[in-house]
Amino acid sequence: MKIIKKNVFEGLVDELIENDEREIIGVQSKDSKYVFDRLEKAEGLELDYDVTILPPKKYFMPQRETLVEYETREGLEMEPVNEVIPRIIIGIHPYDLEAIKQMDKVFADSPKDSNYLEKRENSVLIGVNMQQTSDWSFAGSMGTATVDDGYDLMLTDLGKKYAVEIGSSKGSDLLEKISEDVRDASPEEIDKVEKAKEEIKDEFDKELDFSPQKLPSLLADTYDQDDFWEENAEDCYSCGTCNIVCPTCYCFDVQDFSDISLEEGERMRQWDGCMLEAFAEVAGGENFREERAERYRHRYMRKGRYLYNRFGDIACVGCGRCSSQCVPDIADPTDIFNKLWRGKDE
Amino acid sequence: MKPEERPKAAFFDFAGCEGDQLQVANLEEKILDLLNIVELVSFREVMTEHSDDYDVAFIEGSITNSHDAERLNGIRENADVLVAIGACATIGGINSIRNVQDFEKVQERVYGDEREHYEAWEKAKPAKAVVEVDYEVHGCPIDREEFLHVVQSVVMGREPNIPDHPVCVECKLNENVCAFERDEFCVGPVTRAGCDSCCVNEGAICWGCRGLIDNPNEEAHEEVLEEYGLTAEEVIKKFDLYFAWQQEAREDE
Ligand code: SF4
Ligand code: SF4
Ligand code: SF4
Ligand code: SF4
Ligand code: SF4
Repeated sequence: MKIIKKNVFEGLVDELIENDEREIIGVQSKDSKYVFDRLEKAEGLELDYDVTILPPKKYFMPQRETLVEYETREGLEMEPVNEVIPRIIIGIHPYDLEAIKQMDKVFADSPKDSNYLEKRENSVLIGVNMQQTSDWSFAGSMGTATVDDGYDLMLTDLGKKYAVEIGSSKGSDLLEKISEDVRDASPEEIDKVEKAKEEIKDEFDKELDFSPQKLPSLLADTYDQDDFWEENAEDCYSCGTCNIVCPTCYCFDVQDFSDISLEEGERMRQWDGCMLEAFAEVAGGENFREERAERYRHRYMRKGRYLYNRFGDIACVGCGRCSSQCVPDIADPTDIFNKLWRGKDE
Repeated sequence: MKPEERPKAAFFDFAGCEGDQLQVANLEEKILDLLNIVELVSFREVMTEHSDDYDVAFIEGSITNSHDAERLNGIRENADVLVAIGACATIGGINSIRNVQDFEKVQERVYGDEREHYEAWEKAKPAKAVVEVDYEVHGCPIDREEFLHVVQSVVMGREPNIPDHPVCVECKLNENVCAFERDEFCVGPVTRAGCDSCCVNEGAICWGCRGLIDNPNEEAHEEVLEEYGLTAEEVIKKFDLYFAWQQEAREDE
């Protein structure tokens, strides 16, 4: 563990903004909320934020992205596209680092998604331990309030200085630039960081009443409780917000857009979500999940069971974005999971 | 496409503000691209000629009296493809606010003492309430890019890509702070996306100009609006700015 003064860290960030060819991204405020966005000055960083509107996955899988450009002037010519902007992303919370780790597995699975993977490889992730928690988060219950890896550098606020954990050479390379101002952490400082990490785990208002490891079997047993799912889905708009803001949702829709000249066009992908009515519609108009309640149930099944069965991860990291942004307030995983848990023996 | 193969297109206006035709006139350099795929034979915004020989008819404005309806029927007979453009033509638009108001008062407000001389329906209707409509370009006013996309689809005989999900999708993709988190109200959760949530991006709310999605959860939205502090009457007003005709049509189904 290393220690650097905050003003040194800010100086480093400003120097990177000024001279590094990579794009520097940081958490900043937007109205009353926070977002990851391009940083103009280190001053703009808000590292004591609670949660951002969208997770940082937008840098590896943009909301809208061109995959192929084509021309039809002289027969069909296609050119694959991957716009990779190397980036340093500052201020990622542990639950989002865990989500990125999960997404890395998903996109590296065959068929490999090079559009995601190349962007990911060209990113440096600077994490920060939480100082504030969102009212909706339950990262403490999901084991994602802190992480041991998944970052290139990890910061912990110690008042006038940051404790910095090094996760990779991409991270330590950044510290090279300020090597004179970096020192080893003292045993007391290390204890402080450990204590801060222990304490944050109890700072969450929302909680799961049981171990998340029990989710896959709980959800298998409750899949058929149609009344439960229907009742809870009654107010659902099928607006997809709970998918779009989720750091572990990765579905997308691919469409071709031809230019008005009709001679060229592009194939684009855009984020999609299983809560949207057209999501499970296949050619011919058949819809696998026509009812709101079926789609509603599907999301919880994905988060707590399906992805576990495939990749071994509980695909909810407890960030609370879905519940905080669902207008009718029916998307809180702790609410649904705890209700199912309490009802399981009835 | 060879110039002589281009379908002939004509614009017609009914009760509306011509804001949509203005959007087309303002296509700037893209107007040439448009002219590459259609031949304009009637377009009041930019030309004085008029022709009754057309394949594609673009209809702007809502239908508010029997004279309008007759004219629209004539256009339908003449055209191979009929495209409604703008909220007035697709969903009744702003004009349909009066559908839920006292008709006599509306007439008095609009025509004053002359109201006897004007024949007007009690309710403003979209084109599809009168004739069969083949394509729709939503919005008030329409989006130029979407207009071009629909024209292209018409020419190629394809289904255009028009979203059937709520504005919230685009609003979240754009990472806006939700109106409900700013102590405001919004009908985005029941309104058809496709405008890139432009009003919310500018710090406003969605008023619903693109009309309801095919399967909106209006009941939930009414409850939610009430929960967030609107009175029942205000909730109805929220929905009536653009949705009056659509809501009535849904109830009749
Ligand atoms: S649960 Fe909430 S956020 Fe998710 S689709 Fe339904 S209404 Fe939208
Ligand atoms: S399901 Fe909700 S709480 Fe869980 S990771 Fe996704 S957005 Fe966060
Ligand atoms: S839809 Fe809007 S822009 Fe078009 S005619 Fe009606 S009021 Fe005008
Ligand atoms: S501001 Fe309106 S459109 Fe945007 S997310 Fe909120 S309710 Fe949906
Ligand atoms: S945000 Fe709403 S009111 Fe604004 S253009 Fe889109 S649909 Fe119309």
